[in-house]
Amino acid sequence: MNTYLLRRNFNRGILWIFALIFAVILFFPIYWMVCIVFSPTGVPIALNPRFYPSSFLEGIGKINQIFVERSFLRAYLVSFIYSGMSCIFGAFVTSMAAFEFALYKFRGKNFLFGMAMIALLVPKTVFLVPLYLFCAKDLNWLNTFKGLIVPGVADAFGLFMLTENMKGLPRDLFDAASVDGANHFQLYYKVALPLSKNIIVTLIILIFMRTWGNLTWPMIIASNQQYYTVSRIINWFNQPDTWVTTDNIMAANFMAAIPPILIFIFFQQYVMKGIAYTGLKE
Amino acid sequence: MLLIKNKSHYLMLAPFFILFFLFFLYPIGYGFYTSFLKWDGITEPAFIGLRNYQIVLQGKSTLKAYSNLLTYVFITVPLCILTAFILALVVQHIGKRAGNVLKSIYFLPAVIPTYLAASIWRWILASDIGLLNSLLSKLGFSQINFLTDPKVMIFSLIIVDVWCSAGFNMLILLAGLNDIPDQYYDAAKVDGANKFQEIIHITIPQLFPSLFFVITYGFISALQVFEVPWILTSSSYMEYGGIKNGLLFPVMDMLGKGFGSLKFGQSAAYGIVLTIMILIFTAAQFILRRKLKK
Repeated sequence: MNTYLLRRNFNRGILWIFALIFAVILFFPIYWMVCIVFSPTGVPIALNPRFYPSSFLEGIGKINQIFVERSFLRAYLVSFIYSGMSCIFGAFVTSMAAFEFALYKFRGKNFLFGMAMIALLVPKTVFLVPLYLFCAKDLNWLNTFKGLIVPGVADAFGLFMLTENMKGLPRDLFDAASVDGANHFQLYYKVALPLSKNIIVTLIILIFMRTWGNLTWPMIIASNQQYYTVSRIINWFNQPDTWVTTDNIMAANFMAAIPPILIFIFFQQYVMKGIAYTGLKE
Repeated sequence: MLLIKNKSHYLMLAPFFILFFLFFLYPIGYGFYTSFLKWDGITEPAFIGLRNYQIVLQGKSTLKAYSNLLTYVFITVPLCILTAFILALVVQHIGKRAGNVLKSIYFLPAVIPTYLAASIWRWILASDIGLLNSLLSKLGFSQINFLTDPKVMIFSLIIVDVWCSAGFNMLILLAGLNDIPDQYYDAAKVDGANKFQEIIHITIPQLFPSLFFVITYGFISALQVFEVPWILTSSSYMEYGGIKNGLLFPVMDMLGKGFGSLKFGQSAAYGIVLTIMILIFTAAQFILRRKLKK
């Protein structure tokens, strides 16, 4: 019995060592970014690797500097408009379609839904060039918010997630509302939407994360510096001919990381639920 | 009455499907069409048949991009999933409270956008001024040019990749792990199986659907790799892929051909070739799964 306990404790020890090593490796780069931002300016990493933050004020100074001198504030606003509008439009357009697929039968239903689901298997990046040609040459949407936002609104994954979830809505409520004289749109707006609040919040969070983290599309459609998003401007900072210092790049990284990290902290359950849905989709 | 009811269904679906058609289906068709054109986006396009495909398939950069891609994909996908699997097992076995805390910490890198991960890791991996190299030189070792040595670059990319995706895959696998009924493990204990046998004979087969998902999804996204190598090599449309094209990948080359040298026809053809390759990969995995199930 004693050897059993000993072995058990030994195994638990090993498990904890592994767990902590992984935690350090996964957490360190983010922590180190914070350390670089909140420490004196101008010291090369080679001389002082900075494993702990040492000056709050210097950090604020760096952030202020990129906001004022490097047009980062503008990019921040552009990104918020891009992500915010994508969330609003995405949530409405997708939930309206999901409402129909989840609760009603009509002609062509399976065909339409099937078509959207096939889209999940098609690699999107590959058709960025024709999408650009269409948006820029035919619609003249180069360097506009329309160009940034609209092409990403109809997202097949969101449709799948909401449809699956809305299938569980209690039908009696809809019947009762119909009897009370609600029309079709009111059934959606006044009954289905409030009942699906949780999953719609999840969808909005996923859309925010996706658009905030999107570099490729903004890079293609918003080439003018006026419409640079946070992702695009960080890409630009990292190019050698811009001569942005490590300190400033890290300050930009830090500011770009804040919204997703805050969302993760406050809406952790929603974020994780959304990810679990990705796993279901197949 | 029925007709009116039907009409309202389609009205509700219209916004989604109009956008879906315009910005998803139509560009696919447009891509096929453009791939037969010689077009710089400004002057009149000219129809040149399959010439673009010929140029793309014979191009030197194509060969390099695809050989990079295959090396990368076959290392990164197994490594990412193995890491995620180990993380999931750790979280599952360490107890509920500690497990929840660890889960959040492990997931944190997946919350950060990938371009941002690259922009942080660039300063950890850089030569001379980077964190790892300055530590190496302090300890008396010689430098490793993580981002400029063509033999090493691809592994640096893989490290960043594992770091970014581990949390995401862990979460999906963890959901699968929690669905395995306890009786299976109890039965194995009665039969005297050790932990390792338990993982091989119960966990992995039971986890198969989740594993299959993360593998397929992993391949599809790895085959389209773009943002991380783009930032790690400080690329721009004019100059991309890093030293000796060590981190040149198809999507990068495709965008470079389009927006750098304004050869939109070639760029579209490049995209179609890559799509076909991705679809073959995906189909192969579905066929393999069917065989394994039997």
